[in-house]
Amino acid sequence: MAPGGGVGRVRGLLASDDDEPNVAVVLLAAGVAAAVLSPLLWLFVSAADLSVGDAVGLVASGTTTDVLVNSLALVTLVTGASIALGVPLAVLTVQTDLPFRRLWTVLAALPLVVPSYIGAFAYVSAFGPSGALPDLLAEYGLGFVNAYIPTVYGLGGTALVLTLFTYPYVFLTTRASLLSFDTTQLEAARTLNHSYPRAFRRVILPQIAPGVTAGALLVALYTLSDFGTPAIMRFDVFTRVIYVELNSFGVGRANATLLSIQLLAVTAVILALESRVSGDTAAGYGTPSSAKRVVSLGWLRWPAAGIPAFVSVFTLALPVGILTMWLVRSGPGYSGGGLAFRPEFATNSAYVAVLTAAATVLFALPVAYYAGRSDSLLARAVDRATYLGYAMPGVVLGLALVFFSSRWLLETFGAGAAQLVYQSLPLLVFAYVVRFLPQAVGSTRSSVLGVDRDLVGAARLLGANPRSAFRRVTLPLISPGLLAGAALVFLTTMKELDTTLILHPTGFTTIVTYIWRVQEAGYYGRAALPALVLVAVSGLSMIPLLKGSDDA
Amino acid sequence: MTDDMHDDTTSGRRVYRRRKVLAGLGAAGAAGLAGCGGLGGGDGGGDGNSGGGGTGGSEDDIGAAFDEFRGSGPLAEGRGDVGGTRIADLPNLSGELTIYLGGGEGGLYRDLLAKFERIYPDFTATPRESGSADAANTIINEGGATPADVFWSVDAGALAAVSAEGLSAELPSEVVDPVPEAFHPDETWVGTAGRARAVPYNTEELSDDDIPDSVMEFPEVEGFRDAIGWAPTYGAFQSFVTAMRLLEGEDATREWLQGMLDAGVTEYNNEFLVSNSVADGALNGGLANHYYALRVQAARPDAPIDLAFTSGDAGGLINVAGASVLSASRNQELAFDFVRHLLSAEAQEFFATRTYSYPMVADIPPVGGLPPVSELNPPSIDLRELSDIQPTLELMRDVGVL
Repeated sequence: MAPGGGVGRVRGLLASDDDEPNVAVVLLAAGVAAAVLSPLLWLFVSAADLSVGDAVGLVASGTTTDVLVNSLALVTLVTGASIALGVPLAVLTVQTDLPFRRLWTVLAALPLVVPSYIGAFAYVSAFGPSGALPDLLAEYGLGFVNAYIPTVYGLGGTALVLTLFTYPYVFLTTRASLLSFDTTQLEAARTLNHSYPRAFRRVILPQIAPGVTAGALLVALYTLSDFGTPAIMRFDVFTRVIYVELNSFGVGRANATLLSIQLLAVTAVILALESRVSGDTAAGYGTPSSAKRVVSLGWLRWPAAGIPAFVSVFTLALPVGILTMWLVRSGPGYSGGGLAFRPEFATNSAYVAVLTAAATVLFALPVAYYAGRSDSLLARAVDRATYLGYAMPGVVLGLALVFFSSRWLLETFGAGAAQLVYQSLPLLVFAYVVRFLPQAVGSTRSSVLGVDRDLVGAARLLGANPRSAFRRVTLPLISPGLLAGAALVFLTTMKELDTTLILHPTGFTTIVTYIWRVQEAGYYGRAALPALVLVAVSGLSMIPLLKGSDDA
Repeated sequence: MTDDMHDDTTSGRRVYRRRKVLAGLGAAGAAGLAGCGGLGGGDGGGDGNSGGGGTGGSEDDIGAAFDEFRGSGPLAEGRGDVGGTRIADLPNLSGELTIYLGGGEGGLYRDLLAKFERIYPDFTATPRESGSADAANTIINEGGATPADVFWSVDAGALAAVSAEGLSAELPSEVVDPVPEAFHPDETWVGTAGRARAVPYNTEELSDDDIPDSVMEFPEVEGFRDAIGWAPTYGAFQSFVTAMRLLEGEDATREWLQGMLDAGVTEYNNEFLVSNSVADGALNGGLANHYYALRVQAARPDAPIDLAFTSGDAGGLINVAGASVLSASRNQELAFDFVRHLLSAEAQEFFATRTYSYPMVADIPPVGGLPPVSELNPPSIDLRELSDIQPTLELMRDVGVL
């Protein structure tokens, strides 16, 4: 094919970046995957405590089957509902002339900052037995209506709450795909007399599908790993049963391990399914380009604004309203220094979340770069492996790291090593990285995919070595993706409870551990202010996620 | 030391049942505020418990003014002098301890630790808190590498789990002796404060004669029909059902749960709300830990609410918070002395007047005219067995309570 030596050399240089990433990147990426998978080894170490007979008995028991069916039902419902909610909202706010688009964009993304356990608490206090709503209805002589309100507990309520607070994952990824979508294609479709719905189905949908799937995957895995919501809404899924088993000690610990392994297996199946659906052209949030409003809603403009407004009532107004009610109503009771909120809790939270965001991006970069540049089986395996930790309940991951960083280090390297690592800030950050790495990998990988390889080739041609070409060309181009990933990790770290409680350095109180402390003591009123602070601070991290988009 | 409270403790069980337990708030307190006169400590009933230690140090250093430990508010006012061993009579605390706090009273416990640190400038307590089961599982995973010296948990089951792994040190007799044996079944942990299952009832609707001595009869009580409340998701309620399952068997428990549903029991999210609804008159009675009614009472002194206790059955269960010293600790002596401080008159008064829990030391009376722990008749059950909640949850779900 090469017409001549000189051109061939140029072509070689241009193509050099198309080929497999060099060995160092591969090793680095594989190393990251191994590091984040290592805590899960603990599950197999501790499952060894269980006799084979007991293990088989538990796996085959009715409870386990119920839990599996419940978990799958919940994941399916929440994922489906999140797509049904997230995609239309993304289309409305990106592609139409909706009034106040920017406002609705922010409001649609914002529920992500509400920790789902707070959301669940709010829903139970509003709609649960003797909650605010039944009380209100009774006050106005409408008590009879209460008999017709379905219970907030169980599958329905759990799915509702999880959907309301996780659909923004789908919203954000879909939105990013829509923003990078070349609208001239849509115009072309329209000139072929396709109606918008038809054009959407035939032109837009295939191109945004990877983005939607990426978000749906985050929703599905979050649903599997979330403990707070099913616990509060009383629905038996893996996390809740694992927690109950951990609470009953004895053989319960081994049972919890076994259930966690099953949960891992379910996660692996979901990951395998997702890679089939999404293929390898996955796009994600983080590669914004300016988009034109392409659909005029006409007289529907204003009524359409009712949709995001309606959703916001349930995702934002209701929880914030309930929190405010707690704040106002906070009953009297014990008030001591040990329960006083201090601003340093907020700075601690922000500090560790910033560290985690930075560390996660560093870990994500080689994985995302490798996965974005190579189609090899190993690249895919490395990429998928980083998702496993995300579906582990925080308490299981926390206890695994307790084992490795204290007893195992002590027995292997002596007391000094254990003291150095155990309950240290770096260990806590590492735990967060294990939990949240996929959020950064997803956005970074899609921005790596979005880099025009000819640009890198051109840089090489002009004499830049691979490293310098990466630094001067690739890195600036993927920085929005990195930043979006960092922001997402920041806000999920801010609200992560279980891992923080188990692994925090002694004396290091964060907003969530403080909220936990006062709620455990039964002083809900005192939880309101820090919860509002948490929502506000996390809300700031939304800025990079939404920036540079609808300036049009 | 001759206040009314001691007269009460000598009278029988029916007597406190007839007395308005809560309405008699400050009545005991005509004797007036017992100030800090007790610095010399150990007078009155404390004799039996003052133990060996007693190196004391100069009393001026240990300016442990009693009032600093005692809470404020209507329930704490007017308490007289109490017995027990004073901090001044205990060995000084000096050095550093890492203390794992299990469960929800972390903020309160932190305050008490801060008070100890103020008394002993050379003493530093580093608390670390998580859920009681999380803390126990953490210690079990840490094994011999645990940085903790003391495990102080709101739940006896968590203490027992750590002890069952052989990780807890045996407590010397001078530490555990002041506490009734039921609250230190072996010597690896000791109760520091108790919470009793109780029956808050509305005094305008019911009298305590309407409430049977046995919780098993509750489904048939006329006054409770469509007017009793419970909070089945609450851990203490689940412990109560666990106790019933262990005492009465699975079938009787199932029947009881079904009977309560048939009697139109109302479900609440927590037991404070149950107690509050009793005070509001929305309920005639409820099932709750004893201190929630006292919290309601502290906020609304005129509320028509009082407490009854059942006898010898799950309804009369008393669970405790307690402490263990870990065998891996290099500061065991200090840790033992620290646990003795948790059982000092000051600390026991702190728990009694600030969380309204049951003191573990007999010489310190509970607040609000509650019957002392010696007059309650809790079921004979090993608190360690209460951690077996999985069958309980299955049973509750089967019946449709959860």
